[in-house]
Order: sequence, then structure tokens, then C-alpha cells
Amino acid sequence: MTDPAQKPLGRRAFLKIAGAVGVAAGCSPKAATQKVIPFLVPPDDIVPGTPLYYRTVCRECPAGCGVTARTREGRVVKLEGNPEDPIGGGALCARGQAGLQALYAPDRFQGPLRRGPEGRLSALGWDEAEDLLAKALMAAREKGPGSIRVLTRPEPGSAGAFQRAFLRALGGRAEDRVVLDPLDAAPLRAAGEALFDQPEIPVHELSRARSIVAFGAEFLEAWLSPVEHARQLAEGRGRVGPDRTRLTWVGPRLSLTGYSADVWLRARAGGELAVALGLLRWLVDPRNAVQDLAPEARALNSRLAALDPSELSRRAGLPWERIERLGRELSLRRPSALLGPGVSSQGPDATQLAAVLRLVDLALGNLGQTVFYGLDPMEDPPSPFGQVESLLADMAAGRVEVLLVHHADPAGSLPAALRAGEALGRVPLVVSFGSRPDETTRRAHLVLPDHHALESWGDVSPRLGVVNLCQPAMTPLADTRAAGQVLLELAGKLPLPAAHFPWPDFYEYTQTRAETYAMVALGKFPDLMAVQREALQRGGYWSYRLPPRSEMPALVRGAAEGFLSVPPPAPAEGGDLDLVVFPGVLRGGGGSGLPWLEEVPDAVSSLSWIPWAELSPATARRLGVATGDRVSVATSAGRVELRAYVYPGLRDDAVAVPLGGPEALAALPLVRDAHSGSLAFRSARAVVARIGRGGSLPILEGSPYQHGREIVPTVSAAAPSVRRPDLSHRMYREPAHPEHRWGMAIDLDRCTGCQACVVACFAENNVPVMGPEAASQGRYMGWIRIERFLGDEPGGELEVNLLPMLCQQCTNAPCEPVCPVYATYHTAEGLNAQVYNRCVGTRYCSNNCPYKVRTFNWRDAQFPRPLNMQLNPDVTVRSKGVMEKCTFCVQRIRYAENQARDEARPVRDGEIVPACAQTCPARAIAFGDLADPDSRVSRLSRERRGFMALEDLNTRPAITYLARVREKEEP
Amino acid sequence: MSLSFERLQATVQAAHGRPGRGYWLLLALAASLAAWGGWAYSLVVRNGLYVTGLERPGCWGNLITDFVFWVGIAHSGTLISAILFLFRAKFRTAVYRVAEMMTVFAVMTAGLYPIFHLGRPWFAYWLFPYPNERGIWVNFRSPLIWDVFAISTYFIVSTVFLLVGVAPDAAALRDRAAGWRRRLYGILAFGWRGTDEQWRHYTRAYLFFAAFATPLVVSVHSVVSWDFAVSVLPGWHSTLFPPYFVAGAILSGVAMVIVILVPLRRWLHLEEIITPRHLDMLSRLVLLTSLIVTYSYATEILTALGEPASDPERSTFVYRMTGDYAPLFWLMVACNCVGPSLLLAGKVRRSVKALFTISLLVNVGMWLERFNIVVTSLAHDRDPFSWRTYTPSWVEWAMTFGAFGWFFFWFLVGLKVLPPVSIAEMKEELAHEAHASGEAAHAG
Repeated sequence: MTDPAQKPLGRRAFLKIAGAVGVAAGCSPKAATQKVIPFLVPPDDIVPGTPLYYRTVCRECPAGCGVTARTREGRVVKLEGNPEDPIGGGALCARGQAGLQALYAPDRFQGPLRRGPEGRLSALGWDEAEDLLAKALMAAREKGPGSIRVLTRPEPGSAGAFQRAFLRALGGRAEDRVVLDPLDAAPLRAAGEALFDQPEIPVHELSRARSIVAFGAEFLEAWLSPVEHARQLAEGRGRVGPDRTRLTWVGPRLSLTGYSADVWLRARAGGELAVALGLLRWLVDPRNAVQDLAPEARALNSRLAALDPSELSRRAGLPWERIERLGRELSLRRPSALLGPGVSSQGPDATQLAAVLRLVDLALGNLGQTVFYGLDPMEDPPSPFGQVESLLADMAAGRVEVLLVHHADPAGSLPAALRAGEALGRVPLVVSFGSRPDETTRRAHLVLPDHHALESWGDVSPRLGVVNLCQPAMTPLADTRAAGQVLLELAGKLPLPAAHFPWPDFYEYTQTRAETYAMVALGKFPDLMAVQREALQRGGYWSYRLPPRSEMPALVRGAAEGFLSVPPPAPAEGGDLDLVVFPGVLRGGGGSGLPWLEEVPDAVSSLSWIPWAELSPATARRLGVATGDRVSVATSAGRVELRAYVYPGLRDDAVAVPLGGPEALAALPLVRDAHSGSLAFRSARAVVARIGRGGSLPILEGSPYQHGREIVPTVSAAAPSVRRPDLSHRMYREPAHPEHRWGMAIDLDRCTGCQACVVACFAENNVPVMGPEAASQGRYMGWIRIERFLGDEPGGELEVNLLPMLCQQCTNAPCEPVCPVYATYHTAEGLNAQVYNRCVGTRYCSNNCPYKVRTFNWRDAQFPRPLNMQLNPDVTVRSKGVMEKCTFCVQRIRYAENQARDEARPVRDGEIVPACAQTCPARAIAFGDLADPDSRVSRLSRERRGFMALEDLNTRPAITYLARVREKEEP
Repeated sequence: MSLSFERLQATVQAAHGRPGRGYWLLLALAASLAAWGGWAYSLVVRNGLYVTGLERPGCWGNLITDFVFWVGIAHSGTLISAILFLFRAKFRTAVYRVAEMMTVFAVMTAGLYPIFHLGRPWFAYWLFPYPNERGIWVNFRSPLIWDVFAISTYFIVSTVFLLVGVAPDAAALRDRAAGWRRRLYGILAFGWRGTDEQWRHYTRAYLFFAAFATPLVVSVHSVVSWDFAVSVLPGWHSTLFPPYFVAGAILSGVAMVIVILVPLRRWLHLEEIITPRHLDMLSRLVLLTSLIVTYSYATEILTALGEPASDPERSTFVYRMTGDYAPLFWLMVACNCVGPSLLLAGKVRRSVKALFTISLLVNVGMWLERFNIVVTSLAHDRDPFSWRTYTPSWVEWAMTFGAFGWFFFWFLVGLKVLPPVSIAEMKEELAHEAHASGEAAHAG
């Protein structure tokens, strides 16, 4: 018998060596860092391939909508609205959808940073940073009150409360903490205080209104709570007939909100007040015999009768009949809602405008019907603008030693004329809790990056009776720390007994507050833990109800009279055009720099990536300017260069510039609202001059006119049906759909063009962002675009129609027969499937698509780290050279079908919700099975308002559009 | 008798002499042009079609224009050699070899462009129906698949036709050549010995191939036109396209033959073989096809203008004539309609210079015609919101001009290798002429 050890290489030895080599390979440093799933011992609730949802809250604007964060394998891949939340109601706007990209922004600070003597930021440890700050705070404290200041965004919840507690412990005064919201609707608060002794922002319930008049209030874009407003307007638009909500837009520029309007009163910039006064005058004029008018309002007649209609009509820039007609409409159609001022109408008379509109509300009995006081939680309202200015003055004067900046960007979001950047430069220690570079962190000495909202604990109460809870949906990506936690730790390091708080960490602090919420929402409850857990699962504590009419405040005696005079005309010097500054639905009031929001074209101009200056065709002709030219816009504050966009939805005496970048802020002179002292965005006059040609423009639209092709028909309320071609003749056999025929119905009467669907589609389907160069070359990749038609022919009547254009999933799809390799084909469920890895890229499908909804990957898409972590694992990332398009979110269809099969039941109607339909604030998109005659989408498709895009081509799309109802004249 | 058999053979063979400096210069120019195009194409492969000017809706541009243009050029060869052979049009004899060479090289050029313009050219073989384990077949409903068949069939048939015609000539040259040429002609001669039986087989085969190739002349460009005509795009969707495209192809092909022949007969001293009569006949062909093309333009435009203003078809044609690309449209009309109509005058036809210029411009015009069809229709589709103008990038221009480099490179090589005039048929014709004149003298 031979010794086994002497065998050259036996079976066992071989296996041992092979095993050892395998283990060694597995232990190599590379393998150690590349985990397929980043859990050695997976948590019980994370199953690879199965999504996990967390309820939290959106912090992209002060509205405070509830959010459902969809996570996969421990990272958030999609945000959706929380259907239980009373504010957002399950929808999310474009900015909310894009909040995810702030989480994964490649330029996020990776940890605390300190500015060295050479002016560059360099990393340091948290302990070191906190020690440093603690020392500086103690030193500053010696210098007396006011040397430590906090500048913060509104934090209506734990974060704000803790900031106040911290400052108190340091011995600071309440006014040392300044809450900054550049777009704060302070005039509304001031008007409420003056008229009703309620310094509140009123809450609107627009679904009850039969008529809405928006005086420059961009209530579907950026004003107060746009998602909520869009939902409420859509409810009113769902009532086709005499009760359908009628919307009038008053202002010099037809904004995206104005696109939903039935009537546009082209008041000149600043003429909104004159319209409002004229309206009130007409209503209370006894000769007009308006019924059911509030007696307080009737009492104002003596003052109002003194106003000269011709003077008002001249100020408004409108004939008096238009104002009369509006008055007649509002006197008959009750209740109504009057909204304003918005940013574009927030001038030196903003509070007066707000007050007059409230008086009209009062006169017509809208208070307690559509407009409500008593719902503002008064939790951390923005500071009066005077306080912001005095803080900046103190900073500039060197009276501030330490400035803690919490998610506010004074240098990048306030008019340049305020010189906030310079003031910051005078502060010895600027501490920023910001998570991404902006104009303020560029000047900060210490950056202590906060968690993103999706990584932190907190709570937001945007309204009385609504507390939306914020909970981490994933582990923090970088070495960041919650700002509240930093303050708590900092307090512990201070030699002040008052600063030694009882809470071990910030989470415990939020829990303490949550307990009080739970008490308020539910009364005493035996098991608070269970209540809190349930609240976290649902997303918040809600005891929201609209107060009854009887709880509405009464008019303060003599308060109204001060608001009833025509203000002196604005000085005419400074230029021949009124400067109109407006916020956008994508960029809000400040440029976010988030790729999706930059990439998605503005719904009005269809421009992306750049700011622009709008001029009316007549003005453009007078100045010799064409779309794309470079123009200078000069005001008393400064001169900026922009690309021109010729837009018929603007008065001839105005030039319009979007907020959301340094350009508009540089051109804004420092003017304040006379009553509230808040910033007046509307007051400047401007001179526009052509500089030269501008090269290619990142613009999406080809021609915004329908050229007689009746692409988007409209109907009247009296005869709400569309003339459709007779397509009953069949020459060829059409594809059969034995089980399902997925289809969609899009109600154009509800669609506001808010672009939420577009951004949601980017997020859900890994649609790549190609950048400004690609945008100017026509290589935009979005699967949905909002087509905006301005009328029939250039120079003709302005009639805006929106058409969300996405793959129509045609039955007789022109794209299918022309593909040589069957990369696109018709599935048994009616989808035009696109097989990416079969596509060779002939692009014939795109040529033959009459809707031009297919996009081609001209180059490989780029998802710079860590933006790639957002990619939806259920959807392929396409490579260069292949065609792609809307799939009706086929991954969601398959998920629901598999779910149904597992549970041995048919797919339920409404179970499948594509990303666009899910996020639509107006609920304009319905999805379902057309093969089921009882499904919601089938019922909608049979409506008389239904039509299909380019229907006479007989492509037989799966998408039915419901025509918009257009009523130019009041019924 | 103007030309002896010896003179004929010597003249043709002289073309195969040691190349001069001019030849090398031209060859180097052609090669570097082709290399430039190749370099540009490598950018497309590396970076994707991002480097082109293509966009949505203009998903096709220069490269497809080049494809259709070169398929068109490829047409005259078969027309001249096959159809005119069947019609016993004698004037073809002197010119058909050049035309056939042109055909083969033009198809070789044209065939590249559909591959070049693919998003993923490395999968171009998926367009061929080959058995595979995945059981995936090509889509026979797609005109692009018809294209694959049409072009590959045409390439095979025209190559075979060229080689069959070359066989007797190659044999004649083989007998006088030495070295590699002798071996090459030995292969190309397919063992030709000039026996009666071989001549009988040859003439049968030639007739058969001519008959086989004739329908291809009509079918290939009809199929190419279906790339456009079967779509739903205004400006493409037209039943007129097949005859219109065939006429256009012949127009451009014959014009190209003239453009090549005129300098060639000078440089190779073929004036005695390719006489003004031959050129006159070719110019009549240009005139005829130009009139057909002009008629097609008029038909298309007038039909479209008969529609109401809101009609997309009408809008597309109005756009072609007045929109962003209008200068190109009117240049096309000048080149393809006005220019050739001058050939109505015999004086113009007989002026070699005028004929050359007109033919050159016809080629420019025919390229523009394809550009107009491809680009303006895409730029002005049914949905006005997606209208957009396309401008080719330098990469596409490099590839467009690279095609000429590639084509002329092969053509120049071919000139030095293949007999530019069919010796055998010329001899046959000369013999017939001699016989006829001898008989006439006899009778006289």
C-alpha cells in the first residue's frame, strides 16, 4: 500500500487546493469591496428584488407633501406621493420627484469641511469640527447679544424647534434666528393681519370654487401648495357642465398656470391691483344689484365709488367692460376663489392687492367656502423681510461673529442688490449645514453637511392638523450628520448648564415631539409606541379638517378703508418695458442644479438648461430680435445677458425673465412692499437691446402652431364631443389582444402641464440626462414631452393647448413593420415592445412614428456616481445605438401580473399605475385594461370628449385624450 | 475601316501600361479621401452617432442620402450592358465595360452606408436571415430587409456579369501578358480558348445574364424607393416613388458614366474607340431620364398642392420649396431639370465640355434630390411640435466624400487591371462593319 502523501496529486488534494485557491480569490481586496448585496447578515425586511417602502416627507418646497420612498436593496430608487397625506394626496410635483437627485448628487459634501487660510475647503473630523465651533460659539457669546445668529429655511417641526431651544440655551434672543423663504407670501400674512387680525396664510379649497381668478398667483407652479391646488382644480374640471370650474388669469404674462385658464385678462404689470379694485367697486356698486353681498363689503361702497373706472381701467391696461364682465361672472358663479399676489404680481402694492382680494372674497361669501383662515400652524413662519435685511446689515457692519446657516442660500437666492454675498464675507465664522455647494457654502468657513431628508428623522407640519413625519429611508451615503444632532452634540460640549439637553440624540428629541403630536391627534392613548409606529408607517398624524364658516374671522372695523385707494403710479423711468419675473414649475424660485430639472424643458418656452428673456412678437419685431438671439436686459439694478424667446403670451410692454439663477436676481432692484416690507419682485422697468446671434438653442419645440391640422381639438361645455373620422373599414387583419389591452386615458381638461409626469418617468425608467449640448442638438431623451400649441398659425389668435405626448402603443403601429430585426413588435397585451438588445439602430421606427416619441441613444448615457445608485433595478440601462421609448412602465405591469398570478386572481382595475399616472397631481392620467369594458380607462375612453392623436392615420392608439373644454365667454 | 484589330487591342492594352505620376497622385488622393472617411467613421463607432448631426426627427441624413445616391450610380452599368444589349443598341459596346466596373464599385460603396448608419453596426449581420439557436428570424415585412436582398443580389449579379464579359478579353490579354498579370488574366479568363463551343456558350450565357439582370435594374431601385414609400411620412409615402427612383438612378448613373468617360478617353487615348457618337447617345439617355425625373417632380408637387393648406403632404412640399432647405431644392431643380434640358440642342450634346459640366451637375443634383427627400420629409412631419432642421456634421461630410475616395480608389485600380473597353465585342463590331462595307463595295 502506497502512502497517500506520496501520490502526485490525488482527488482529495486537488479538491483541497482548488478550494483554497477559491477562498484566496474570494478574499482578494477587490472582491472584498464589491458586494453584490451590501449586507453580510441581511436585515429581515430587506429581500433582494422586493421593493420596500418608507413613508416620509418632501422638503423641496415649504408645502410639505407626504412621500412614499421606494427602496430596493437598501437604497431609495423612486419617490411617490403618500396617498394618505392630505396635502399631496399621493401626488408629487416635478421638484418633489427630483428630490432624489439631491440625495445622490455627485457634488454632495462627503463630510465636514473647514476653509483653510489659502481659501480652500479641506476635510476634518466631526469631533474636531464640533470642538472648533463650540469654542467659537463661546467666544462669540462673550461679545454680547446678536453676535451668534441663525439663518434657516422654514423648519416647521423638530428641526426648527430645536434650533430655537439651542439658541435660547446660548442666551440668544428670538430675533437672532431669521427664517428665510425668498418666495414667502408675506403680503398674504400682512393682509390677513390688517383685515382680520389673523397674520396667517389662508388655505384654499379650490375644488368647491365655480370660478377662480388668479391675479398673477402661479398656484399650479410655485404658489403655496401647488400639488394640492392642481388636485383641487382638477376636481372642479372633472365636472363638465355649468359647474365646471372656470379659471381666469390676470397678468401681463400667460404663465403655465394661465394655460389652464379659460380667460386671460392681459392686465399690464402692476395692473392686477387696479383690476381687483375695479372688481370690488363693481360688486358693491348698488346699481349692479349684486345679490347676497356681505354687508361689511356693501359698506365700502362710499369709498369705492370715489374710484374712477376710467382711471382703474387705464392702470389695469384693460377696457372697463372686461372688469365688469368678470364682476358679473363672480356675482353669479359662487363660491369663487381669488388668488394673489404671486411672485409675478408681488409689487410694492402686494399687501394691498392681497387685502382687496380678501375683501372681494368677503363680499362674495367665499370665506369659509373656498378660503380659510385658522389653518396656518404658525409653526416657524418666515421672518418678516425687514429682519432678513437687518441681519444682512448687521453682518455687513461686523456685528455678527458666528452665523449658522441652515439650508438657506442668501447669496444665491436673494436679489444681488441686497449684497448678501458681501455681508457673508464680513462674518468671521460662517457655518453652513448645507449639503451641496451653493453661493453661501462657497463663502462658508465651516461646512457641516446635513443628512438629506431621506436619511434623517424629523417632522414637518405644513398645516394645522397635519404632521408629516420624516424618517430615514436609507443609510446615509456620506459622512454627514443631521443638523439637529450636530446642535445637540455641540450643546453638550458647551460649558453652559442650560445647554445640556436631556435627549441622548436628535432622534429621541423628535420622538418626544411626536408624542405630543400623538396626544393632539388622538387624545390620550394607552400605547403611544404603537400609535407612533402606525403613524410612521402611514406617514404622519392627520386630524385635518376645514373649519366651518362660523369660525372664519370677522373684518376688523375700519381696516379695509386704508386699502381702497389707487396707489400712485409706479415711476416710469428705468426703461420702456415692465420687467416680469416669474417662478417656474421646475426651478421654483432658485436653481436647484438637479439634472432632471435642468434637462426637462420648461413647459412654456420648451427651453432647458438656460434662463431666457421673453418678448412679445411685436416687441421683438420692434427691437429686431428673433428667438435665440442674445439680448441684454438692463434695469436700474443691473444688466444681464440672456437668450431671447419670442412668446405671444406676453404683453407688448413687458419683458419676462424666469427666476432660478443669478440672472433674474441681478436685474431685480431692491424695492419693498409698502405694507409688509417684503421683497417686491414686480416693480422694475427694463431696457432690452439686441446683442447678436446666439447659436443653437436648447429648445424642444419645432413649431408651436397646429397649422390647421387640428391635432388637439377642444370642445365647448354645451357640446362636449369631438368629431372623429370613420375608421370602420378594415383592409388587413389587426393584432388581437386575447387577455389584456393596456391603455391610457389622458384628460386634457385636467392636465396643467406641470411636468411631474415627465420627471417621474425619468426616475422610473432610467431615462438618461444628456446635457445642454445634446438639448440644443435635438437629442433630448425624455419619454414624455408636454407639447404646447399656441394656436393655429403664427400671428393668429392665441389659444394654448397642451398635449402630453408619449408612445401611443398603437394597434396598427407604423414602427413595427419597418424594423428589420423585430426589435419592436406587438405584444399580445397591446404594447409596442422594444427589445433593446435586439435593436441594431436603423432608426426607421422613429422616422415612421407619426408622433415622434421614440428616442435614440446617440451615445452612452452617463450616470455619474452616485447618481447611478438611483437607477431602477427593474429597468435596463440602455447602451448607445439603440432606440427606446415609453413602455407603459412594463415592469410595473409585469409586477402586478405576477402578484395577481401568485394570488390566483385576475389583475384588478387600478392595480397597475405607471409612474406618470401615479404622480399626476391633477389625476389626469388613467391607466388600465381596455379589454375590460368596465375598467376606468375603458369608461373614460368612451367619453364623448375622447379623441386620439392623429386619428385619421388609423394607427389606433391605446391612448385616448379627453378634449379640453373651452369656454371663452361665461355661460 | 477606321480601326484595326491590332490597333484596338494595343490601345486597350496601353491603358495597362506602367502607371504615370498622375495616376499615382490620383490614387493617393482617392486613398487618403477614403482613409479620412474611415477615420471619421471610427469616431462614430467609438462615440456613437452623437458625433453626427442626426437628431430626432432627423434620424436619417447624409449617410442614407449617400446610400441611395450610390445605388443610383450603380444603375447605369446594368442598364447599359444588359438592357441596351437586349435592345441591340450598338453604341453601348464601347462604354459598357466602364459602366459595369462603375456598377460593381458603386454597389460596393452603397452597401457600406446602411451599415455605417446603424446604431450598432457590429450587429449588422442580424439583418441576414441565418439559422440561429435563438430561433429569431428577420422581419420580412421591413423594406430594409428587402434592401438587404436587393443590394446583395444586385452586387452578386453585376459582379458575375462583369466577370463573364471580361472572360474573352482576359484571354486575349493573357496571351500577351507576363508575370502576375498573366496569372490574374489566366484566372479571369476561366480557361478561355476561343473555341466555337465556348463562343456559343458564352453568347448564350451573356444573353441569359443580360435577361436576368434587366429586371434587377428596375427592381433594385424600386426596392430602395420602398424604404421611403412604404412609410407613413408625408413626402415619402408615394406610389410614384419606384419609377421615379429608377429614372433618377439611371439619370445619375449615365451622368456618372459620362463624367468618368470624358476624362478617361482623353487620358487613355480612347477617342477612336469611344467616339462623339457614343457620347451623343449617352447624352440622349440623360435627357430622356431627366425629363422623366422632371415629370415626377411636377407630379409630386402638383398633387400635393391640390390638397388643402392643412394637409401635411402639401405642407411638406411647400416646406421643401420655401423652407430651410429651399436653396438646396432649387439647386436640385437647376441641376436635374434645367441643365439636362440644354441637351435638347445638338450643339450642346456634341460639346464634350458642356456635356461633362451638365453631367457633373446632374450628379450634384441627384445627391441633393436624395438629400431633399430624406431630410426635408423628416424635418417636417405630421406633428409640428417635433419639427426640426438637420445639419450634417463634419463627420458625415467626411464620410460622404470618403465614399468618392473609396469608389475612385477601386475604379483606378480596376482600370489598370481590367480592360476598360470590351475588346471582344469591339472586334466583333469592327468585323461586322468590315463585312458590311466589304459587301457594299462588292455590290458596288
